[in-house]
Amino acid sequence: MRPFVYTQAQNPQEALSAATANETAKYLGGGTNLIDLMKEDVERPTELIEVADLKFNEIKPNSRGGFTLGAMANNSDTANHPDIRKNYPLLSMAMLSAATAQIRNMATNGGNLLQRTRCPYFYETSMPCNKRETGTGCGARNGMNALHAIFGWNDHCVAVHPSDMCVALAAIGANVQVQQANGQLRTIDFSDFHRLPGDRPEKDTNLQPGELITAIELPKPVFSDHYYYLKIRERSSYAFALISVAAGLQMQSGTIANAGLAMGGVAHKPWKLTDVEKYLKGKKPSQSTFEEAAELAMKDAKPLEDNKYKVEMGKKAIVRALTQAYERGA
Amino acid sequence: MDKFDQWKNEDPKEKLTEDEDKILNQLGLFGESRRRFLGKISAASLSVLVSPFFTSEVFGKATQSDVSVDPEVLLNEIQVKLRVNDTVKPLTLDSRTTLLDALRERLQLTGSKKGCDHGQCGACTVMIDGKRKLSCLTLAATCKDKEITTIEGLANGNDLHPMQAAFLKHDGFQCGYCTPGQICSSVALLEEARKGEASYVTEDFKNVQRNSELSEEEIRERMSGNICRCGAYNNIVQAIKEVQSGKEETPKWEFATAEQMQKAKSS
Amino acid sequence: MKTVKASGIGNPIDRVEGHLKVTGRAKYASEFSVKNLVYAQGVNSTIAKGRITSIDTSEAEKQKGVLKVITYKNAEKQGTFDKEMPSFGLTTIAPVFQSREVFYYGQYIACVVAETLEQAQYASRLIKVTYEEEIPDIHLEKNKDKAYKPDDQADYSRGDMKAGMQEADVTVEQTYTTPNEHQHPMELHAAIVSWKNGKVKMYANQQILEQATTAIADTFMIPKENVQIITPYIGGGFGSKLRVQRHVIMATMASKMIGRPVQITVTRQQMFTNTTYRQFDEQRMRLGAKNDGSLTALAHHTTSHTAKNLQYYEACGTVSKMLYKTPNNEVTHRLVPLNMQCPASMRAPGEATGSFALESAMDELAWKLKMDPIELRIKNDTQIDLGADKPFSSRLLIECLRIGVDKFGWEKRKMEPGTNKDGNWLIGYGVSAASRRAPYMKTSAKVILKLKEGTVNANVQMDATDIGTGTYTIVAQTVSEYLGIPVENVKVEIGDSEFPVTPGSGGSWGAASYCNGARKACENAIAELKKKQNMAEDEEVAIVDLLERNNLSTFEAEGTAEPSEEYKKHSVFSFGANFTEVWVDKDTGMYRIKRMVNVGSAGKILNPKTAYGQIIGGLTMGAGMVIAEQTKVEPNYGNFITRTLADYHVPVNLDMANIEVVFLPEEDKIANEMGVKGIGELGITSVAASIANAIFNATGKRMRDLPITPEKLIAAEIESDVM
Ligand SMILES: Cc1cc2nc3c(=O)[nH]c(=O)nc-3n(C[C@H](O)[C@H](O)[C@H](O)COP(=O)(O)OP(=O)(O)OC[C@H]3O[C@@H](n4cnc5c(N)ncnc54)[C@H](O)[C@@H]3O)c2cc1C
Ligand code: SF4
Ligand code: FES
Ligand code: FES
Repeated sequence: MRPFVYTQAQNPQEALSAATANETAKYLGGGTNLIDLMKEDVERPTELIEVADLKFNEIKPNSRGGFTLGAMANNSDTANHPDIRKNYPLLSMAMLSAATAQIRNMATNGGNLLQRTRCPYFYETSMPCNKRETGTGCGARNGMNALHAIFGWNDHCVAVHPSDMCVALAAIGANVQVQQANGQLRTIDFSDFHRLPGDRPEKDTNLQPGELITAIELPKPVFSDHYYYLKIRERSSYAFALISVAAGLQMQSGTIANAGLAMGGVAHKPWKLTDVEKYLKGKKPSQSTFEEAAELAMKDAKPLEDNKYKVEMGKKAIVRALTQAYERGA
Repeated sequence: MDKFDQWKNEDPKEKLTEDEDKILNQLGLFGESRRRFLGKISAASLSVLVSPFFTSEVFGKATQSDVSVDPEVLLNEIQVKLRVNDTVKPLTLDSRTTLLDALRERLQLTGSKKGCDHGQCGACTVMIDGKRKLSCLTLAATCKDKEITTIEGLANGNDLHPMQAAFLKHDGFQCGYCTPGQICSSVALLEEARKGEASYVTEDFKNVQRNSELSEEEIRERMSGNICRCGAYNNIVQAIKEVQSGKEETPKWEFATAEQMQKAKSS
Repeated sequence: MKTVKASGIGNPIDRVEGHLKVTGRAKYASEFSVKNLVYAQGVNSTIAKGRITSIDTSEAEKQKGVLKVITYKNAEKQGTFDKEMPSFGLTTIAPVFQSREVFYYGQYIACVVAETLEQAQYASRLIKVTYEEEIPDIHLEKNKDKAYKPDDQADYSRGDMKAGMQEADVTVEQTYTTPNEHQHPMELHAAIVSWKNGKVKMYANQQILEQATTAIADTFMIPKENVQIITPYIGGGFGSKLRVQRHVIMATMASKMIGRPVQITVTRQQMFTNTTYRQFDEQRMRLGAKNDGSLTALAHHTTSHTAKNLQYYEACGTVSKMLYKTPNNEVTHRLVPLNMQCPASMRAPGEATGSFALESAMDELAWKLKMDPIELRIKNDTQIDLGADKPFSSRLLIECLRIGVDKFGWEKRKMEPGTNKDGNWLIGYGVSAASRRAPYMKTSAKVILKLKEGTVNANVQMDATDIGTGTYTIVAQTVSEYLGIPVENVKVEIGDSEFPVTPGSGGSWGAASYCNGARKACENAIAELKKKQNMAEDEEVAIVDLLERNNLSTFEAEGTAEPSEEYKKHSVFSFGANFTEVWVDKDTGMYRIKRMVNVGSAGKILNPKTAYGQIIGGLTMGAGMVIAEQTKVEPNYGNFITRTLADYHVPVNLDMANIEVVFLPEEDKIANEMGVKGIGELGITSVAASIANAIFNATGKRMRDLPITPEKLIAAEIESDVM
């Protein structure tokens, strides 16, 4: 690790002003991603501002009829909170599919949103990578890209976002509350929070420098009965997804009143399938409906050299997740 | 004198019993408890302890052997009072020092292991305020006012924690390197189960089931954050099951009987 | 009146060192408290081929607490290889920084020494290097024209392969591939080294101390007596700690240069690039059989790779020479030199990979013959090792298979793939036969007896190691047995190169060799004490009486055991059978191993508890070969792009399931006097095939390229001859 100054902020103001004073400072959540990347010499902050102890760790009802998750609450406490389990079991399930008990006990909700890609070229400092070092090229584009994107990529970067939690948040629909450097609060819709690479692959999100995530706001729960988080991976646990699907259905007298559907492991951001959600609305659940949904979801897939399998796997995963979600509540 | 050079200066045979005495005295084990202790660890392993190349602090109160480092060589030095296994130790550290390195390199609490240093194996698992966490991704600086429990703090004097005893009985290890992490993880797991925490393989996410006895599948999923390359998983699962249920787990090996052998030959 | 102790051999006692392991007090190489200690960190090359044109260490040297940066510029001269492509053996030297040449991506090019670990790691990032780069050879396929025959034993044949194939009613000709795999013991390679007055002492996790001291001494060109290695506990090895790796040499050189003890811990990333691995193997199999199943021909051709400056080859074809009765047999091995780290032993080298190819091919043959795969194996059983032209000392493979059939419930298997279903799951059963050479080697031990108040205590000393295999425990049990004293009165002292010489831990020879060595020392002690009293050799007397009669309170004896003439006249192998039930998700390509049964015939089982551990450990690693283990090579740069344990997926707890093990009651007295055979590598042998065969039985998809990942399984086609 490069040397850094360790700062413990007593309150958000202190944290924000420390971050404003030093452009190369970073907030420290649970450290499960940041410390790893610092040891790899990928992240090189000169100052760490600890925010884990700030009082943003509550989970409480909000004015939208849903719940608000404190940014510094850890992933375990969030996934296991009785209100979250009862109202957003899809979120609990997705969060519990991630990493391990130890890591979930450390990882914060804010940090989870900002975890960086697991692209191996990004991690290995001797490899070209535009995300790590602007202008060096994308090692994966012409190299090994079996684990990479099939949607929304370009030649600058073909990486995928690794979070499971975020896939569920995309399906459920949420927004992110942040405090700006000047102390102002702003709200970012979840679908605008993460970005596609565009010509700035180094930027994963639309967060501005120095901004501090304070909370994640969830809407009124509608997928509490019919939900499933399917995670396809190389081993049965402690592995990132090759492909994942978060599926939530709201059923009303035999038809789908509302659907929430998103995929992980396919794009630079959690991939919300808005068109498919619309398509499912009002339909009667059946194998063929779900198969059509899957076709629709994969219609614009653009696989790379090594990840053609993701198209077929993605379809199968969508059908399975929807089926499981439907059957679970039945 | 440099300890490193003392390894073999004394005649091991002459020294043995004295060392043994010294170590056991240091541990505060006399009379019956000493005999019990010896019975438990067996002389063969004690011999390993007292072999001349083992400094006696292996067994001393670990915090007594804080290796102090000249602050001259530290960058961005920080002061932390680390509270480990009920003992508070003030340390001056480089801001980059992880909890794992502070334990191993400075406090000589080498029970917590480094298997990857990147959160990918679980060997460094300790409990912080009762929750299992990875000490390799935890900066020591963030641990002030926190209660850290390591493998060295689990046994009560010479009485093993039930989980330690179960690992021993069910041979829940081979090389022993992942073992401290596995045991810390298992102990925390029991508490998580008591509180009704769910896992990815839990059937019912919506309702919290407290004090439920975990299925084998549940134990395996919840222990998947601790890699054992020796592959002792089956035995680990048996140890945890037995501690959780209180019911004896029977070994999964057997010898073929004479009849089986006969039948296999003639059929 | 030698009484049989409950703690003697054959009993499932708890590990004698177990208490230390469950309390975190067992000390591994990097964990000793040493005053004045400093930290070293290796720096790796970032090209695969070429030479260093400049190396700027000034930035690193400027940092607080940095004591030294060692590169080719200031490194001392070390031993050199005496020929161009030397074999990578157990005593092979490991010189560092002797030239500017770079042979592979990740080769050590510098070493930083600093007062703190943090500074050593940081400064290692500040070394600036420029290279004159050349195009490396990194693709096996593109370099096949450079394939060569490594040595005289690489090729073997008997009978007439061509005629055998023509004579066959049914043939199978397929190619199987296994990827680069890494041993990845949980304990990182590490050492604490002190060089003083031309002598080196170190704590280092080496599996074989005698050979390691030689390698270190030869590298530094000093007498072997000047090197001492201590390693009471080793956190797993799986072959990676057999040979001396270069971090040991770097730390030693650093200690010599700065005059302080140096600790070095290889990072997990460096465990990929600097501590050996199992190379990619392409195995072409050709089998021919009569309709009744009898093999008429069997050929096994392996192509793999080695380094550009060092040679290692995995004898994958060995298993095909000896496992089945076939008159016509051909085995070849070819190597392609690549700009990659030199591969070396990983658990059951040759057998683990070779048996995947052979036992998969046998399953294919059985399917084509519409024959039960177990019957096919029984049909081709042989009590003679046709490859070596020697009888087996004992071979109970048929018994293993048949007992497994009952234990596993094989009769429930459906012959036709894809017909056993449960919801979204396709269920399959697979079987494979396992064989692993069970070597036994010359071993010495010393036993020190002490009599006090009517009780005899014994210390046994040998330079053996315990890498998790249970050495402490089985040696204690052996001494307990042969001296007739309780195991609690036995102290095992191992892991010190100054103790009597053993072959160390590797190649499945440890248990047999160590225990016979310890036995011999005990027998010698008793014999010598009897002789002093002019007692008959076979007179029954307790050791305590013997010491008392001799009026001795302490007595020492040494013993050396070695293979007999009978042993040399036989082929000595352990045998086994693996049965696996796999559930494959019909859509997602994910699958779960539901249960396994292993039946093993490995001579006298010294301690079934620790033996069970060895078997399940082997099965787990074998499962890893199938599930996901592979280290991929970046096609443009030649580095291992799989570089952490987050990308190299070894099995986790949930990947495994209930494993039942049946040991056959056996003592192989030809193998050695105690009748013991190795078990540490038997477990991994052929497991991969039993799982792949189960996947075929579940899905009708024949997976010939390991690992079997969800993506491959989804893409695979059902075999054309499956309905
Ligand atoms: C081996 C391993 C396996 C894993 N497997 C999975 C998996 O399967 N699925 C999955 O989803 N995840 C997985 N993870 C990732 C894990 O979920 C993330 O590392 C974690 O969620 C990050 O949270 P943190 O609090 O530790 O973030 P940190 O590491 O502390 O921070 C991450 C980033 O967020 C910034 N940050 C933190 N908090 C704030 C805030 N409040 N405001 C603004 N910026 C902030 C930091 O500056 C940093 O840049 C795995 C991690 C590891 C190490
Ligand atoms: S995919 Fe993105 S992260 Fe990976 S190498 Fe290319 S630019 Fe870097
Ligand atoms: S050392 Fe911390 S997880 Fe591996
Ligand atoms: S006991 Fe060796 S890694 Fe688990």
